[in-house]
Amino acid sequence: MSEQSETEQSLDEINKSLYSEGMTDGLPVIPPTDERVEEMLRGIDRPRDDVVARLGNNENALTVETLAANAVMAGCLPTYMPVLEAGVRALADPDSNSIQFSVSTGSWAYQWIVNGPVREKLDIESSSGAFGPSFHANQTIARALGMAYRNTAKIYPGEKDMGVMGNPAKFYMLAAENEEASPWEPYHVTHGYDADDSTISLAGPNSWVQWLPSENEGEHVLRGMIRNTPESMRASSGEDLNATITHVINPYNAEELEKEDLTKEEIKEYIVENSYRTTDEYAPARHSGDGIPPRQVKQYQDTDAVKVACIGGPGRVNAIFGTSIGGPVTKKIHFPDNFDELLEEYADDVERNWVPTEGFYE
Amino acid sequence: MGLITPGSESDETEQLPLVPRVDSLDGKTIGLYDNGKPAAEPLLTAVKEKLADRYPDAEFTWYHVEHLNQIKNDDEQDAVKEWAADVDTAIGAIGDCGSCTKFLAWGIELIEDAGTPGVGLIDEGFELDYQSNAIERGRALRYKKTPVRCETTDLDRVRDEVSEDVVDGIVDELTRELNEKERADPVPQ
Repeated sequence: MSEQSETEQSLDEINKSLYSEGMTDGLPVIPPTDERVEEMLRGIDRPRDDVVARLGNNENALTVETLAANAVMAGCLPTYMPVLEAGVRALADPDSNSIQFSVSTGSWAYQWIVNGPVREKLDIESSSGAFGPSFHANQTIARALGMAYRNTAKIYPGEKDMGVMGNPAKFYMLAAENEEASPWEPYHVTHGYDADDSTISLAGPNSWVQWLPSENEGEHVLRGMIRNTPESMRASSGEDLNATITHVINPYNAEELEKEDLTKEEIKEYIVENSYRTTDEYAPARHSGDGIPPRQVKQYQDTDAVKVACIGGPGRVNAIFGTSIGGPVTKKIHFPDNFDELLEEYADDVERNWVPTEGFYE
Repeated sequence: MGLITPGSESDETEQLPLVPRVDSLDGKTIGLYDNGKPAAEPLLTAVKEKLADRYPDAEFTWYHVEHLNQIKNDDEQDAVKEWAADVDTAIGAIGDCGSCTKFLAWGIELIEDAGTPGVGLIDEGFELDYQSNAIERGRALRYKKTPVRCETTDLDRVRDEVSEDVVDGIVDELTRELNEKERADPVPQ
């Protein structure tokens, strides 16, 4: 420690202190100093003491200022604040069921999908590896929202958050929809927004499966969507518990489905009509009196229980997220008047120059 | 270097008192509060059977939350309080997962709000969860750990697991006088 500069020591001490108070996700954070929080607040045109949401058992207040403090800790840029503000409104929406899925033994994760022009403005990845590490906006926005929820609701593993296994994706699962490569209307348009709106959508799945069709052809893709969904991913929409699954289709396979003239709704109908799960052979038939018990029943109650989005890059691997016991809820993102100026100011902070190819093949 | 706290600032919850316990279960109307988890009904059934043997003059009345999540609704909360107001004491089950332990604590709190002494039955692995939910609500809600683990619905197995010692503990939680903290007595100046 004696070799460290005063600033480094301070960074260590602050991180120790925040960790001991349960304010971090276990990784090092950027200290939410007055100056950094002040800078973060440039990204939002709401007063710092405005309550954005009330979360947890006691409906604890999450203010603009505390959201900014969490954004600083997570490494966000001020330009991410509008997305964070909308994400917090999604968490606070009773339809998100975050009060349940955030603490359940099922270790449910906060799954975020971003749509609209904000994807390009903030460089939120929608193509290769979108749900994985590496992308600044994808990772830090999800991280900030996860920490903001925990720090406001005051839930910790083993006390209130009783996830048995935990979930490596819990605070880090955010991608944009690949609208440009998708043959379908965007996810947010399906959920009632205009294509020009920027939105963030929240669901609460605890698992995902990646799979690929045996042929890059529509019928194989459809079959694969059904065959690769585990029987444990059951779904039914409803007031008490809105359980859904989301099929995330890559652009190549989405294009094959488009060649079959299949809309998203038709795809959902096909999946619901053709998905069954085997029943417990010892369970008595609940509806057929003395008849022979059925050996299989419908896996999904209705098409509202099945969601479809187009995300990912080249290749034929798709993903199924489920079962979500939260949402999905979608919120429109509102931007401050000076947003374009801020974007310009912070543009260099997230420039990618990972594999420079310019001039190599000339 | 000043820091902005990233957490909410509502730790200071006012300490609320529990409702005084009954002196005995003999001849009382005992409420059985099923929070909607599958293991709640068999556990409460086994407890009821054993209590009925001990207190033949006691009466039992059930409240079933049809789906666990319904306790989030104001109408359901009002209905629980209305039901609880008509019983002398109540036993709730079960806290055997993250959300159901939270919602069980909410249910026991509603029962106490109705002026009825209550106790929650929990899987022993969820003690800290129940406590932390109770602490957050500012009330030392009583509970009894049971060896009945998550999602055990086989009534015969549950009957075996609800020993006389477990029943002794439930009776104790419903009849033992409140201590100073549970009464939320003001701190002497």
